Amino acid sequence: MSKTRGLAEVIVKFHHMLPDFTPHSGASSASQQQFLSLFLRSEREIFRYVAALVPNLADAEDIVQQTALALWAKFNAYDPARPFTPWACRFALNKTRQWLERRQRWQALLEQGLAEELAQRREELQPQLEARLKHLESCLGALPVAQRSLVQGYYYERASIDALAGRFSRTEAATYKMLQRIRHDLRLCLEGHHQAEVV
Amino acid sequence: MKLEYPSPEFDETIAAVCHGEADEARMRALNHLLRSNADARDEYLIRIELHSRLASEPDLFSEGADVSLEPLAAVSRAVPPAPWRLTEMDHRQSNPNHGSSERATRAMDRTWILALAACFILLAGIFSLLWLKRSEPRNGTTSKAVAMLARTVDARWVKQPTPPRAGVALEPGWFHLEAGLAQIVFYSGARVVIEGPTDLQLISSSEAVCPTGRLLAEVPEPARGFRIKTGQLNVVDLGTAFGLETDHGQTEVDVFKGEVELSAKAAAVQALREGTAALVVGAGAAQFMAVRPDAFSNMLEFQQRSLAAEALRYDQWRLKSAQLNQDPFLVVHFDFEGLSPSDSSLKNAAEKTALVQDAAIVGCEPAQGRWREKPALEFQSVNDRVRLAVPGAFQSLTLSTWVCLKGLDRQFNSLVMSDGFDPGTIHWLIRNDGVLGLTVFGTGSAEYQILASPPVIGVDDLGTWLHLAVVLDGKANEAVQYLNGVPVSRRTLKIRPPFRLNSVELGNWNARRDPGSEPSLIRNLSGSMDDFEMFSRALSQAEIRDLYSSGKAEP
Repeated sequence: MSKTRGLAEVIVKFHHMLPDFTPHSGASSASQQQFLSLFLRSEREIFRYVAALVPNLADAEDIVQQTALALWAKFNAYDPARPFTPWACRFALNKTRQWLERRQRWQALLEQGLAEELAQRREELQPQLEARLKHLESCLGALPVAQRSLVQGYYYERASIDALAGRFSRTEAATYKMLQRIRHDLRLCLEGHHQAEVV
Repeated sequence: MKLEYPSPEFDETIAAVCHGEADEARMRALNHLLRSNADARDEYLIRIELHSRLASEPDLFSEGADVSLEPLAAVSRAVPPAPWRLTEMDHRQSNPNHGSSERATRAMDRTWILALAACFILLAGIFSLLWLKRSEPRNGTTSKAVAMLARTVDARWVKQPTPPRAGVALEPGWFHLEAGLAQIVFYSGARVVIEGPTDLQLISSSEAVCPTGRLLAEVPEPARGFRIKTGQLNVVDLGTAFGLETDHGQTEVDVFKGEVELSAKAAAVQALREGTAALVVGAGAAQFMAVRPDAFSNMLEFQQRSLAAEALRYDQWRLKSAQLNQDPFLVVHFDFEGLSPSDSSLKNAAEKTALVQDAAIVGCEPAQGRWREKPALEFQSVNDRVRLAVPGAFQSLTLSTWVCLKGLDRQFNSLVMSDGFDPGTIHWLIRNDGVLGLTVFGTGSAEYQILASPPVIGVDDLGTWLHLAVVLDGKANEAVQYLNGVPVSRRTLKIRPPFRLNSVELGNWNARRDPGSEPSLIRNLSGSMDDFEMFSRALSQAEIRDLYSSGKAEP
């Protein structure tokens, strides 16, 4: 059976696919690999940073994708002596702002400085977020099978709501509602574990 | 609209924001609340963090849970799931106010897109996201299958609208076996025999729930982590064979080989070693004892019989294959025997002709073939291909192969395609709508004939071994396509022989022109190939049927 393909291998393979292309920007494949390895390490953190502002997953992913392109374009300005994630998050904030320009609804959520405030407060809250979220796996494990399977379908498989509604024989609205309830239960479970630790 | 904290409206608003459904008034009300109430703001951040953590930490979900539940099966179940997936931006950028249906936008492996992105800026200078997106067309064919029903003995299913037959793909859900035996092969590689009466719920390719019944699981190393839940226990397999018997009140686990981990609801995880069994009654502690192989004898015997039957079948095919290699009209035969990951070439096993040298393997990985011990070659990335040169012109020719498809990801999924569009050459492919397609090119630049079968390959055929053959008969002016030994398309040939393959690829296509120009030029196959033959004559229907019946996995 096939093994995990390393990033380097992917790149090498891709080069092979385009034998007629020759690099004419100054970038070397070494810097490209360096970028990819840094980005892939920070990617989840960047995603969560963006999602704190635009929680809709598909939208957050779009923004991260645009951020990745901007980061690569400006990678020669990156100082390897400094941490990558904060540098990347500044780009992510800019990309989020650009993305908002065309979306009035989301502007209404983040207007009057709330975007910046959320980003800053989230950083301050990091230890408290971590203290709770470290229990997420055990809280997930404690969910009844059907609920766990729905969470997995939505967050992991990224199945559409209408597919999940079909799978669980519910309406789409009921499926959304059920997801909301599961998150609520998880939230209570995290808090329960956390309080138990504190006491 | 005004929001209070805490309140049910606050909870609902957060959910609506997470799902992208909140309208502007609601968004504005939330903005006001979060700016004026620090507690609400902190609670909001914690809830959103929970939401984004679920979406970005695949490790939270059972190990090896299968990406192939969704159309991106192409990315392969062997590749670890992406932490999160990038969506098709071109589609949604044109619909900034997309609704829930578009949430289903198809996805792809993020590593790929990053590599693509970086390479393109690097290589091409001009970079268009749109191109990138379209270069990975995914069609709407979906498969949620997580396992396959391998074989059954006197199986009687209940509460099943259509009783599953051997060979079908199984989606997550309940299976109620009232009597008899059934072997289910999970896509993770775990093999489970159940003996009726047993209720089994498939959760993912590496997880099942068994509230009541008896089963025997055989879990090879790659499927390590396979788990079964019963009313009392979570059983996590660490690469082994174990039996399990459960009723509503109690669960017994017998480890015949290797080791498993048990965890009861309240208790700590316990390891259970080879030769030992554990019995858990109600919420009580586990009692340990020696294994009772006799309690699982039916299933052990069934498992062994099926192993022996498989080995026998493989041997029969080998014999047939050796005879075939003596056929004077056999030009190419790749049997993929003895294939190892380091191999970069494929040996042509045809012994009576010396027309074709060995072929080059580009990318690809060895995979399991029609039988457990039989290697096949897996194509999964856009680069994977087998290249060979077939000199000569043929009055007639026949191509035959076994494939196990993971998905039909491309508009055209290559089986065998000559480079470019040269006169007399052919493109043999599967369209994403399940049509077997054959294009034969004539001498003029605009002269070609497309021979298409009806859509014959459906979602249920994914993950199973299919025999495909095409016969170009220059004498009878006829082209016939076969699926599993049965003709599915028979057409008069308008293009005259001779036919050629020239420089040709299996599982991919070399367009021989600017690869950036046209996204649909990516035509790689997603799946495995086991056995490929090319004959320099038209095989008869009986001969194709014989190739099928001697090569199929089970008699």
